[in-house]
Amino acid sequence: MSAVVDFPVKPETRPYLEAVAGSPGEPEWLMQHRRRALARFAELGFPSRHGEAWRYLDLRPLEQAPLRPLAATEVEAARAGGDPASAWPAAGLRLTLLDGRFAPELSRLGEMPATVWFGSMRDAIVRRPDLVGEALEALAADRDQPFAALNAGVFGDGFTLAVPEGVVVEPPIEILHLASGRSTASFHTRSLVTLGAASRVRLVEIYTGEGRYWRNDVVAVRLARGAAIDRVALVEEADAALHLAVFDATLGPDARLSSTALLLAGGTLRHDAVVRCQGEGARCGLYGAYLAAGRQQANFVTTLDHCAPRGETREVFKGVAADRAHGAFQGRITVRPNAQKVDAHMLSRNLLLGAHAAVDTKPELEIFADDVKCSHGATVGDLDATALFYLLSRGIRRADARRMLIDAFLREPVDRVEPASLRDHLLARLSARLAVLEET
Amino acid sequence: MTVSIDTRDTVRALSGAVYKYGFVTEIEADEAPPGLSEATVRFISAKKDEPEWLLEWWLTAFRAWQKMTQPDWAKLKLAPIDYQAASYYSAPKLNPGPKSLDEVDPELLRTYEKLGIPLKEREALAGVAVDAVFDSISVATTFKQQLADLGIIFCSFGEAVREHPDLVRKYLGTVVPQTDNLFAALNSAVFSDGSFAYVPPGVRCPMELSTYFRINAAKTGQFERTLLIADRGSYVSYLEGCTAPQRDENQLHAAVVELVALEDAQIKYSTVQNWYPGDAEGRGGIYNFVTKRGACRGARAKISWTQVETGSAITLKYPSCILEGDHSIGEFYSVAITNNLQQADTGTKMIHIGKDTRSTIVSKGISAGRGQNTYRGLVRVQPRAAGARNHTQCDSLLIGDKCGAHTVPYIEIRNPTARVEHEATTSKISDDQLFYCRQRGLTPEDAVSLIVNGFCKDVLRELPMEFAVEAQKLLAVSLEGSVG
Repeated sequence: MSAVVDFPVKPETRPYLEAVAGSPGEPEWLMQHRRRALARFAELGFPSRHGEAWRYLDLRPLEQAPLRPLAATEVEAARAGGDPASAWPAAGLRLTLLDGRFAPELSRLGEMPATVWFGSMRDAIVRRPDLVGEALEALAADRDQPFAALNAGVFGDGFTLAVPEGVVVEPPIEILHLASGRSTASFHTRSLVTLGAASRVRLVEIYTGEGRYWRNDVVAVRLARGAAIDRVALVEEADAALHLAVFDATLGPDARLSSTALLLAGGTLRHDAVVRCQGEGARCGLYGAYLAAGRQQANFVTTLDHCAPRGETREVFKGVAADRAHGAFQGRITVRPNAQKVDAHMLSRNLLLGAHAAVDTKPELEIFADDVKCSHGATVGDLDATALFYLLSRGIRRADARRMLIDAFLREPVDRVEPASLRDHLLARLSARLAVLEET
Repeated sequence: MTVSIDTRDTVRALSGAVYKYGFVTEIEADEAPPGLSEATVRFISAKKDEPEWLLEWWLTAFRAWQKMTQPDWAKLKLAPIDYQAASYYSAPKLNPGPKSLDEVDPELLRTYEKLGIPLKEREALAGVAVDAVFDSISVATTFKQQLADLGIIFCSFGEAVREHPDLVRKYLGTVVPQTDNLFAALNSAVFSDGSFAYVPPGVRCPMELSTYFRINAAKTGQFERTLLIADRGSYVSYLEGCTAPQRDENQLHAAVVELVALEDAQIKYSTVQNWYPGDAEGRGGIYNFVTKRGACRGARAKISWTQVETGSAITLKYPSCILEGDHSIGEFYSVAITNNLQQADTGTKMIHIGKDTRSTIVSKGISAGRGQNTYRGLVRVQPRAAGARNHTQCDSLLIGDKCGAHTVPYIEIRNPTARVEHEATTSKISDDQLFYCRQRGLTPEDAVSLIVNGFCKDVLRELPMEFAVEAQKLLAVSLEGSVG
């Protein structure tokens, strides 16, 4: 793509427009889509904190020191080495994306039913454009969210999972996003999951790495009638890393989505869940927890759109901000005019532990239908003094007692995760992070 | 059951859903030519014979206003406002300086009578001192002498500028700066009158101070300015009621209210807003873009806002409390109703700055017809505000399937010892409740009135007596035609 552009360009977007996107052999439809998306990004520019959507995230460091997308030729071959601590040891199937590119030597794609397509996005673009073409072009986030638009313009790789009607993939599939630390750059990955009617999968996404980098990840999920997905995201990025992720899901009739996200480490983290309950009776559970210390920033953003009747939503988000960290939750549930009998609840609970820490929460309801049950709740405060006293009076050291209470507080969103071995892994990661938190 | 009977009577009396206060008083008016420029600002200043410092203040605001843009974050469908089409000054021509009510133009007094604020009657019965603002000039102030004996100053803003310039200069713009937002800047550039009250240290104001606003002449915006100062240890309760006659074009109302409560002082500010909401097709109606803010400047000060918002085509207002003093308290009680095509984006801001500050927010939103009702509230606890407490309760009621009820709370906490809780629910009137009421012989409208009044009870009981009755009637009138 040439650096010469003929559309309005915001100055901060310029370094990214010159990036080499895709590879020379790409199909024309994709190149066109990339160009449109980049034009949109250039027009939108970086989001301002004066706008509502990015109110609670400070992106000035990125504006001052751009992190250019890594070109395909710059990705070095993976070295052999042990799994990172964040990876799930019990994972059967694993697809690894190293510095934003599929790394076959670090992956175990294993045995899948023949009708299931599972592989890298680059592979799918070449071999199965029918699977990815339309879906890649139709992402709503690409129009509204500048970094999703940038992602659509310059993504290098990702994964594709397509499960046909009625197929149940039992073993959880792990996607391991690694950053090698060898290049200071941005990794843009875009992935797609399409589930046929009544199919079911479990997906585990692990984000971890070393060095200074910006990970910009977009995962789109399409669920047909009665399909179900259980998805877990564990984010343990490097301390200097910026992590912006969009999880975009469209639910058909009676489809079911459960997403649990843990933001445990990384410099600046934002997890955006965009869910459209398009079919009648779609059910959605969004759960999450962040643990922010030092100067970390952690943001959960959820946008839930009930377009059809009888939908159900449960959102539970917990947050802990210590030291000088800044945690935020921004949730919105919209119930459209014809979406009667929707039952939606949103809960944001936060612990503020440092004198210089900050917590923001904005649980928003937008209701256009009258026969609905919607509620939201939010709390911000310190640990419960009575509970702390109870533990102290039983001879537990203050530091231990506090850790126990924080651990218990953050567990709730994780408690629903299946299978047990995955849940135990997540809780172990949580405890490990808590131990670090208390020492500092 | 007195409530329901009261409401039922009102509904019956007012059935037909015609805006009761839609009449125009024909009085010769002294108007500024339409449009807004520095010349207009100077014209108003000269007309009102304002001092030089105030003109400078206006001009500063005007220049800031020129650089500002209309806010777009509110959930409102709002066409850009043509500021040049409106006239910014309209003063009824009257004999200079009425000394008592007897000298006030009888035409004006009759207007107020239709509005239900017979000044004389109130003087005698209710013990309310009314500073009636008719369009832009304050025409009569009652009970002035009685208040003056206590050292309380309660007068029109223009008079305050002349008689008490030091007080005005000390406090004007300290709570709502000229550059605060587009509409506050506009107000700061052209406000022609309003109310001013000062309660000296240790004085408990013996009566409810009151202002009624009217927008009368066509195509005139109304830009009053209210400044209320409660000195150390004093108490004052202030009532504000608004009605406007029926007009086809949208009219802009951009007022600014500033409250200052010093150490141990308490201010209770109650509003019943009944501006013309436009007809059933959304034609006409008032744009109510008001900036209201109170500052608790001293320790243990308390500011309490109570509002019942039933009118206006579009409402955009956030009565706020800045809790600077340690142990200061902010309260916000609100009922907002939108029917037909009304839109409201209203709520509050509680800024906790001092230690052990407390705030309570109770908001009840009711949407009917095709109304859109948004609660937008900010609770911010600054790093120094140790031990701050907030509780927010925010309920929405939907009547009909074409309306919308939205809740947008912002909770921004910078101190770990703060405890902040927010709860919100959205529901409709349940069929069970309606059935129960109807079974006992109530008509559907009576049943809805009864249930709505119960829904709003937490807020209505915060209103002073005189207002509570009126507010209940207004709720019933506002919801006419929304059921059955």
